[in-house]
Amino acid sequence: MNREVLFDIAKTWFSGKGWTPHTFQLKTWTAFLQGKHGLLNAPTGSGKTYALWMPVVLDYIKKNPEYKTRHVPGLKAIWVTPLRALSVEIKQAAERVADDLQTGLTVGIRTGDTSATEKNRQKTKMPDLLVTTPESLHLMLATKGYEAVFKDCTAFIVDEWHELLGSKRGVQIELALSRLKTVAPKLRIWGISATIGNLEQAMEVLLGPESEAFQNKELVKAHIEKKIKVISIIPDKMDSYPWRGHMGLHLIDEVAKIIKNSRTTLIFTNVRSQCEIWFQALLEKYPEFAGEMAMHHGSISRETRQWVEQAIRDEQLKAVICTSSLDLGVDFAPVETVIQIGGPKSVARFLQRAGRSGHRPGQESVIYFLATHAIELVEASALKRAVKETVVEDRIPYLNSWDVLVQYLVTLAVSDGFYPSAIYKEVKSTFCYQAMTESQWVWILNFITKGSQSLEAYDEYKKVEIEEDGRFKVNSRSVALRHRMQMGTIVGDAVMSVKFMSGGYIGSIEESFVSKLYPGDVFVFAGRKLELYRTKNMEVLVRKANPSAKAQHASWMGSRMTLSAQMGELIRTELYAANNEKASPELRALKPVFKQQQKESVVPAADEFLIETFKTREGHHILFYPFEGRFVHEALASLIAYRISLLTPITFSLAYNDYGFELLSDKQIAIAELLDNNLFTPEYLHEDLQKSLNATEIARRKFRDIAVIAGLVFAGYPGRIIKTKHLQSGSQLIFEVFRDYEPDNLLLQQAYRETFEHQLEEGRLIMALERIQNQQVVWKQCEKPTPFSFPIITDRLRERLSTETLTERIKKMTASYMKSN
Amino acid sequence: MILEIEINNHEFVLHNSGALYWKGQEMLLVSDVHLGKISHFRKHGSALPTQPIFKNFSKLDKLVDHFAPQKICFLGDLFHSSMNREWLLFEQWRNRTALPIVLVAGNHDIVDRKKYEELHIPVVNEWLLDGFLLTHFPEEREGLYTISGHIHPSIVLAGEGRQFLKLPCFFQSPFQIILPAFGEFTGTFAMELRQGDTAYVLTKEEVIAISK
Repeated sequence: MNREVLFDIAKTWFSGKGWTPHTFQLKTWTAFLQGKHGLLNAPTGSGKTYALWMPVVLDYIKKNPEYKTRHVPGLKAIWVTPLRALSVEIKQAAERVADDLQTGLTVGIRTGDTSATEKNRQKTKMPDLLVTTPESLHLMLATKGYEAVFKDCTAFIVDEWHELLGSKRGVQIELALSRLKTVAPKLRIWGISATIGNLEQAMEVLLGPESEAFQNKELVKAHIEKKIKVISIIPDKMDSYPWRGHMGLHLIDEVAKIIKNSRTTLIFTNVRSQCEIWFQALLEKYPEFAGEMAMHHGSISRETRQWVEQAIRDEQLKAVICTSSLDLGVDFAPVETVIQIGGPKSVARFLQRAGRSGHRPGQESVIYFLATHAIELVEASALKRAVKETVVEDRIPYLNSWDVLVQYLVTLAVSDGFYPSAIYKEVKSTFCYQAMTESQWVWILNFITKGSQSLEAYDEYKKVEIEEDGRFKVNSRSVALRHRMQMGTIVGDAVMSVKFMSGGYIGSIEESFVSKLYPGDVFVFAGRKLELYRTKNMEVLVRKANPSAKAQHASWMGSRMTLSAQMGELIRTELYAANNEKASPELRALKPVFKQQQKESVVPAADEFLIETFKTREGHHILFYPFEGRFVHEALASLIAYRISLLTPITFSLAYNDYGFELLSDKQIAIAELLDNNLFTPEYLHEDLQKSLNATEIARRKFRDIAVIAGLVFAGYPGRIIKTKHLQSGSQLIFEVFRDYEPDNLLLQQAYRETFEHQLEEGRLIMALERIQNQQVVWKQCEKPTPFSFPIITDRLRERLSTETLTERIKKMTASYMKSN
Repeated sequence: MILEIEINNHEFVLHNSGALYWKGQEMLLVSDVHLGKISHFRKHGSALPTQPIFKNFSKLDKLVDHFAPQKICFLGDLFHSSMNREWLLFEQWRNRTALPIVLVAGNHDIVDRKKYEELHIPVVNEWLLDGFLLTHFPEEREGLYTISGHIHPSIVLAGEGRQFLKLPCFFQSPFQIILPAFGEFTGTFAMELRQGDTAYVLTKEEVIAISK
């Protein structure tokens, strides 16, 4: 069958639905049928699913002209999705094509939700098309005889590749593909990605650098212009606008107005506690919303979340307060309006959220931006420009993730075993491990077989064994079982399930929050007031609390988001624009604030770097404004504090937010002298950082995930009790043992590397320092805190009072003892 | 390296390894060594470093050299879990240490008592000696002063510039003293210091007394 005939089949099917194929769909079909690999750049809701399901089916038809009467069994295509909640819709789309064209092709799902019965059925008879997740895919590689299952597979499609790319789940995909390319030589690899800054690289990572697939590739862009309208919620009178960051509740009436005027509204908050607080506040002030308003975040039970999602689709809800838990996922046609509360920190996230509304073709997406404090309005103005100029961020792929490699090799050893020489070539062909040296490879092999780099007398280390013919294999059933239970790269916080005494699972909250509560205490979670009855094992038993009881909101440690480099630059540019006349409505609204800032200090121009000093009851403040985001500021604050402390003995307290950072001390500092001392030089950055920062502390946190992924810690699954007698140990202790006895351990070194590359963003730090060096330092000695400084010096206070680490710290402070004498 | 203290007119020496030496009895007291813990983890596929296994024994050897005691008492949790080959190293150590040794059993001591008896180490649940109660689990008993372990005590020190230090310690209250965990890879539990308590924190160089 030639392509024309095949395309006619497809086009007829499309017109039967009243559609015509988009150009990007035709392009993808053509490229796929030509045997090419590639990346499709298309947004959600554009028809991307059919762009790739269709050619998979057409390819089957082409190869089996008698397809209507003769079914060829065996797995033909794998569709990987990052969210198992999406799998049903993807399956339905595939089934529609397969059934309407009478192909007899079956579609199956294999995710963490798949029942054991279904898995067994798949074992004897694989569906033709399989929808799965990265984790379940690896579990299939951990199954005996997997090669036979995959051998005739012709298509491997990764949906939402941009989501996976910058995570260790992306590395899992790279590794799985390195294996499948050998096992299934006819495999065609395709990714689907939303627009990101590094699309070309995204394709290279997926296909493998210098791979055959990469030689025969195509990048298809959908070019779908989605109209997005950004509206800032600006109150009539700016003087009511708080200077410092808060929940944004001062604009609750405006939000209620928007909800009332729209069919369905999604209200995005940045963190779960903010989500809970907004839900409660809206209900209290507008009781008429009860029953028409819901909440959705990652700690609420899956049943409830699924119910909410369905209710949105069925148009039963006026408003849903949510977090990033609804960033991705199924299309909600009835959503007309989106509200973003607080800065979204990244352009891509903002666009994604905006795109949740107005799904009808030609319809405009409307997103309202609610700045929680005055300066955040600059972000609104910056985002508007970002939308106009389609600025987007890169997703940075991981390199040399030894933890994932260790897990993968044990996975292969658990199923059929592997021969290192063959697997080395495959692993080395991936983007992640392209720079791996042979000695690093040998180190990893020793690690999984001997548990060390030398053979020890009396040692009973047991994991992977080397058989006589050189095959690496796990023979212990308990090792295999434990490995299968612990596979995956998403390491959650230690959470406890919240249940009613009468039964009924509500969701999960972090252990650290529960540990502060006593029986009888009341807290708000999942929109309900709950009274703690008792905690037992990993369960928190609660009952409904008296509605008038005083309650605290559940809080989560969860890492706070940081400004992306692009957002930082946008904000800086926007701010510099405040000095000239052609300002946006947001900047005009901010005029009183800027006037105040100008009076107390200055609004810096593009070539200026502002430093402010002033004295309050707290002490002497020095404020710096690089606008580079929280993480970079965390590092910069320690770096500068360290460099100052080299000149004079001093103690600082550090604070930072997305705009700048503060050094606070009880002594006055001679700023002029400091500036002469090359304070911002990028030279010796790495050394100074290592000495200044508590790099070890951050590495310790990073190591936790690495230890779990590499199988050093027996974490188990939440809610599942595994017999691990005498095997419990915190990753902290393990970290210390490695630090003290095996400092050259690759996994330990990886923790430090991730600290510098992913947490402290050393690369961005260098660029920031270089930029600052080329700016004119403007030092303003102010009388009192300026509008710019306010969010920083108060954000610090809020953080201390609200996040658990700091409360813990304060608790420790009050119970602390100084060395006597 | 050491700090000498007096309890009920008996002289004791605190060693920064976490061991306690009772001068009058010429007895070395050591708690929570958790031998076999690393091997136990390794046996179950967790590739922890092996060096700390040997560190435990060399630390014990050094103590015996230093104090030249007449007897040794382990205050429980000597062997972490079920039998593994680290026991062979323990046997070797026992054979080169020609002293009476007693084990006061702890919750982790699940290895068959006969195995200890083969090594001439009697296992008891507690030991009353000269007005002192030697036990694994801390408790206060009328008319006795308790020496125990089990808790792995540590305290948290706060310094300038939001610096914190968590250090293992001997934890002494009016009627008892709790020994720190001696073993490598054991972890600690942070205690709260009250009026009348003293924590003797261990550093690499010394033992420092801290009280409220």
